[in-house]
Amino acid sequence: MSKKECVAMLLAGGQGSRLGALTSNVAKPAVSFGGKFRIIDFALSNCANSGVSTVGVLTQYRPYILHSYIGTGEAWNLDDREGGVSILPPYATQTGGAWYAGTADAVTQNLGYIETQDPEYVLILSGDQLYRMDYGKMLESHKEHNADLTIAVMPVPWEEASRFGILTTDSEDRIVKFTEKPKKPDSNLASMGIYIFNAKLLVDTLKEDAVDQTSEHDFGSNIIPKLLADGKRLYTYEFNGFWRDVGTISSYHETSMDLLGPNPEFDIYSHDFPIMSNASTRPPAFFGKDAAADDCLVANGCKVFGTVKHSILSTDAFVGERAQVIDSVLLPGARVKAGACVVRAILGENASVEENVEVGSVDVTKDTAVIGNDVVVGKGEN
Amino acid sequence: MEKLIGLITCNYSAKIPGPLSDTRPIASMPYLGRYRLVDFPLSNMVNSGIRTVGMVMPYNYRSIIDHVGSGKDWDLDRKNGGLFILPGSAFGTSRTGSRFLLRDLIHNKVYFERSSAEAVIFSTANFVYNIDLTKMFEAHKASGADITVLTKTAADKDIDVTGFDVQDGRVRGVHHGVVFGDTSFLDCFIVSRQLLLDMFDWYTATDYLDVFEAMQNDFERVNVQTYGFDGYVAPIFNKTAYYRSNMDLLDPHISDELFPEGRFIKTKAHDTAPTKNEVGSHVTNSLISAGCRIFGSVSGSVLGRNVIVESGATIRDSVIMQDCVIKSGARIENAIVDRNNLVPAGTEFRGTPENILVKEKGRG
Repeated sequence: MSKKECVAMLLAGGQGSRLGALTSNVAKPAVSFGGKFRIIDFALSNCANSGVSTVGVLTQYRPYILHSYIGTGEAWNLDDREGGVSILPPYATQTGGAWYAGTADAVTQNLGYIETQDPEYVLILSGDQLYRMDYGKMLESHKEHNADLTIAVMPVPWEEASRFGILTTDSEDRIVKFTEKPKKPDSNLASMGIYIFNAKLLVDTLKEDAVDQTSEHDFGSNIIPKLLADGKRLYTYEFNGFWRDVGTISSYHETSMDLLGPNPEFDIYSHDFPIMSNASTRPPAFFGKDAAADDCLVANGCKVFGTVKHSILSTDAFVGERAQVIDSVLLPGARVKAGACVVRAILGENASVEENVEVGSVDVTKDTAVIGNDVVVGKGEN
Repeated sequence: MEKLIGLITCNYSAKIPGPLSDTRPIASMPYLGRYRLVDFPLSNMVNSGIRTVGMVMPYNYRSIIDHVGSGKDWDLDRKNGGLFILPGSAFGTSRTGSRFLLRDLIHNKVYFERSSAEAVIFSTANFVYNIDLTKMFEAHKASGADITVLTKTAADKDIDVTGFDVQDGRVRGVHHGVVFGDTSFLDCFIVSRQLLLDMFDWYTATDYLDVFEAMQNDFERVNVQTYGFDGYVAPIFNKTAYYRSNMDLLDPHISDELFPEGRFIKTKAHDTAPTKNEVGSHVTNSLISAGCRIFGSVSGSVLGRNVIVESGATIRDSVIMQDCVIKSGARIENAIVDRNNLVPAGTEFRGTPENILVKEKGRG
């Protein structure tokens, strides 16, 4: 992919309200994941690894941590003099300003950015999905089909198809129908919310959509149906691999647990397509004399004196003597003090479970326990 | 105006050659899994607000440059100041035992001349400690000393550490090797920039000497005072000291002292995923860097990045550097295994606490 041929617009403004306490003070893309990463690392690394070196990141909700984390983009080799990462929050003009009203509106408000970069293609991405994809291959497919819009899709189990935006294609992968959450799906290809548009078509369509008062300004609900109705060339690009949207506490917990076990589907150790992150340099993880850690991911700066089973310990997490951590995720700086017990729980950043306190339950019918960022759980508080 | 600039002499090699230091300068010797020794003087300076640091290079500087790059990871990629790579003596200073060879400093006179800093802080890359140098600089100014040297009372005999003869709070002489109770030099000192430039003139004829050797007869004229440090210190001049210091850090108290909150040791950042303690692994009393996959047993050891310990492999009381693969059933004890080694299945690699076995760098 040559430079500026394709510009990515990364939608990272989501609040992620269904992640509850984990997003009380950070935007969802900035939520820690997998021990040392933040969710947005996956999309930014995909861009870097695919040669997409111009990335506009659209932010809105609680952007401070997200902005400082992205910085100049150097952690993803995206600090290019030409292009690189640009952070695009909502802004005001002479006629006023407004929050981003939908996915399409967010891009519409930044058409100026796209026009300045003047690319041939625009890649629309979400900053809150976990997957590894070479966008270069998707762009090749887009060009081969001489498409106006290519939508990345993945086959989902038929019984779950009614939960997704489903695309029905002809034998050449051309989209003939798009149905949001169909009751009786006639295809099992779900949209991943990853689009490649011909830039000119995108700009024209968004300008039209902006003045359409009946539109919700959403790619899935408005833009795609409109282009389909207009007879434009819409194609699918099929992706087969690990892809997760960690939109809820249970999916966050489940996806975290998917990184454990003998042969996880998602290989975080790949050298060819590394997941890059803006990590702080902390000392190696320390395991004490009585530590017992089995089936765990343990990041730098952790100190483990107790027992940890089937869990993820993020940077600087602490597990005290005689403490137990089972089927849980400790976000950066979370502390489980001596004798405490944490089961099927997510501890937010710098959260602390005081000595001999129990959090969570082995009962899988109960919800995963969540302790918010910076929250201290003392005796009798849970 | 910048008050202090730094200079690190990276061209002092280990006096006792060995497989670990034959292939790299001491400055880029891996330490505690993820660090290199030069990270300590660099971080100490940067954490004390210094943003101009020169590094005098040895002839085999590849690994140092690979590590420090533009200085970005230490916030030394500055528009003004930042990291200066300075040429050093062609073959290092190992033969003379000098730490701050005058010739190396005089050759780089322009680095000191172009600065407008009040003083220069010098360090080698042979010592492991974490210190707030701003306090030392304050003490230097308060005492009115010409030179302030960082010292610690020797707890042990060490033939490689420099000792000072101190009377009435002033340094009166210098000697090689220390015994218990001596004032040992931590290879770090502050000197006013003007005095340094004057000294270059005084000692032009003896530029083959170390700064302090050259000053041997001038301690009455030059006011050299000591500044004591009482935190954890490890001089790394040979493999035993290197091994012991890595093991020292398995003590959480020492580790807390070397890595205090808010004064981190900075190092080159890598995109390495967290370590995975796989099902059935046993890891106790060990420091494990990121990217390792551990299926076997590790105790009393320090592992570098991306080490794979297969199931049935056992590592005890050893230092394993990055990218090693310890195959199933292998046993490693009291050893230092340099990077990129593949220890074949079923092999034993054992030293004794008195004689640590060293496996030199592998290919790759």
